[in-house]
Amino acid sequence: MQLSSNLQRFHNRTTYYCWVGVFFLLIGGFIALLYIATLQIDYLWAWYRIPQYFVYQENIEIRAEIEGEVETITMNGDQAVVVVVGSDGQETYTVPSEDIRVDEGDMIYAGDVLATYKEWRPGILLQGLGTTLKASVYAIVFGIVLGLIGGIARISPNPALKWSAITYIEIVRGSPLLVQLLIWYFVIGTMVNTILANYKLGQISAMGYGIAALSFFVGAYVTEIVRAGIQSIHRGQIEASRSLGMSYAQSMRYVILPQAMRRILPPLAGQFISLIKDSSLLGVIAVRELTKATREVVTTSLQAFELYFVCAILYLVLTFTLSMLTQYLERRLAS
Amino acid sequence: MAEVVLRNVKKIYQSRQKKKKEDVLAVKNLNLTIQDGEFLALLGPSGCGKTTTLRMIVGLESITEGEILIDGKVVNSWNPAQRNVAMAFETYALYTHLTVRENLGLCLKAKNVQPQEIEKQVNHIAEILKITDILNVRPSHLSGGQQQRVSLGRALIRRPSVTMLDEPLSHLDAALRLETRIEIKRIHQRVKGTFIYVTHDQLEALALADRVAVMNFAELQQVGTRKELFEQPANVFVADFVGEPPINLYYQSTLEEQDGELYAVTPQGAYRFQLVPQKRRLLENHQKEKVTLGIRPQHIGLEQKPGYVPLSGKGALFEFLGEYGYLTVHNQGLDLSLLTPADIESHSEQIDIFYDPHKVLLFDSESGENLALNRTKNI
Repeated sequence: MQLSSNLQRFHNRTTYYCWVGVFFLLIGGFIALLYIATLQIDYLWAWYRIPQYFVYQENIEIRAEIEGEVETITMNGDQAVVVVVGSDGQETYTVPSEDIRVDEGDMIYAGDVLATYKEWRPGILLQGLGTTLKASVYAIVFGIVLGLIGGIARISPNPALKWSAITYIEIVRGSPLLVQLLIWYFVIGTMVNTILANYKLGQISAMGYGIAALSFFVGAYVTEIVRAGIQSIHRGQIEASRSLGMSYAQSMRYVILPQAMRRILPPLAGQFISLIKDSSLLGVIAVRELTKATREVVTTSLQAFELYFVCAILYLVLTFTLSMLTQYLERRLAS
Repeated sequence: MAEVVLRNVKKIYQSRQKKKKEDVLAVKNLNLTIQDGEFLALLGPSGCGKTTTLRMIVGLESITEGEILIDGKVVNSWNPAQRNVAMAFETYALYTHLTVRENLGLCLKAKNVQPQEIEKQVNHIAEILKITDILNVRPSHLSGGQQQRVSLGRALIRRPSVTMLDEPLSHLDAALRLETRIEIKRIHQRVKGTFIYVTHDQLEALALADRVAVMNFAELQQVGTRKELFEQPANVFVADFVGEPPINLYYQSTLEEQDGELYAVTPQGAYRFQLVPQKRRLLENHQKEKVTLGIRPQHIGLEQKPGYVPLSGKGALFEFLGEYGYLTVHNQGLDLSLLTPADIESHSEQIDIFYDPHKVLLFDSESGENLALNRTKNI
């Protein structure tokens, strides 16, 4: 009996590892097929060129602002102080000592390079990733606020609030995000910026309208998630709090919403993951987010395969991180 | 503490379907006064309107007609927070995301009470309810009895003028129910508040309450002390619903006079119950008419006590109920139940039994009203 159960266990483990092997074979097979396909079209993989689109070293030049003579160069560790004396007076420049392009006594003109140094700069993909993150985070925050207000309005007995919430939800969920983005930027944006210009006030950027469009879009879905979450809490909970002297607002704040939050966290996370991916549409209103940045680099470098793969992986990193964070929060709330 | 008055209170639940107008009458013209500091039980079967009545007093349910007064003020339009009442629910309805301490203190926190004061009051109420050791535990880890006590504590901590308990013991086992019942009574004596207690268990109602209000089919049937309900039930329903073991009821009985004595006779003449002379006046209205006859098993026995009258029947079934026995005798197809000492032998032959003629109850066969009470009302 003991032997048979051990054999069974071994058999199960063997089967398990066999299927793990099958999984990795499938992945390997897919990569091999892709590689063979690229050989067929004479595509040259150039992964080594990708890092520069994340970070690169920029050559920064320090130039003279006056015409004159280099009077002194004083070394001070890795810094040097260059004093230039001209007919208009003298100028002092603090420059890195590693690459000084002038000597004492040199005659120089305004605009001549005194020294250079290298500085790490974020590449276009990293900037695009930052823009995507910024737009997504703002849209998530505003979306939650809108969703909470909308969700409570949606279950309100007040017809003005309830019908407003329903109208908002139906309009937003009934039209594509791309169309909404275009309306926000080209219709609402034009009107608002014209009014602001008339009053000599600052203009709202494309990014601002993009965030507004995403917020309103995600807010409608969050509204429904919040409504479902609130309604999933047993009616007895609000009745208990009301019968114990709390107002409706206090019942919502202290009793219903904290419990609803646990239940709405998984669908909310799913919604925010979708939002991160939907932010790729901001490119149509000239916001250089990750997808648009990738397209721009592809246009100049012609490394489409590598760059689009990298773009997809970056989105995956963002969404996977959010997914992990949600799971952590769920565990925290459950304990 | 506060007096609660219900004046002609009516509750109708409107039908949701527009085509089918099937409105439900949940409470019908309820008139009831709950004295300041009184413990009143609302007793009745499921669906009789007792919980709806409670919810209307709290303010969770609107009133279709009538008035509710708390402390002499009409509170119909007041929300629950303004009424200064509190309710402990049948399902306990504890806040699952909070600990016991937070559950107890939340309503004080919502009223912006200082944290030190909240802590003090929570500890005080926890001491009264003997739950100090579970203050940092979440409701999901508590037993039914503990949850029930937390629910009660949460209601009491506000020091409400009226505390309402909606079937708080229905989910507890028998031993715990008895223990908690004693606990609730002790708490009432200690806090001296007005308590309204909803239950379908007559044992709970009679054990706890100063007075019991019996409801059935959305109507208040009778309000009285346990003695009044037991000895002078207003109608057949109250007689049948209150009292354990249940009353012996014989429908279609008749009133007859023989040798100057008045008798109530069950169908087929199975049992003839002699009535006391005071009930003679009932004869005028009810001779040869049908009545419903009732007598409680407690008022029938195997030994002749002073004033008891003999009756005979054939022993049919004996049940041992611990402190006493429950004997059912049989005669011409009709059963009669009585209480006996626990140690008697089971009888199968013809036996003599004795009953108290003062305790024989007569009810109108159509309306079910107690004829004695009815008569008194009319005189």
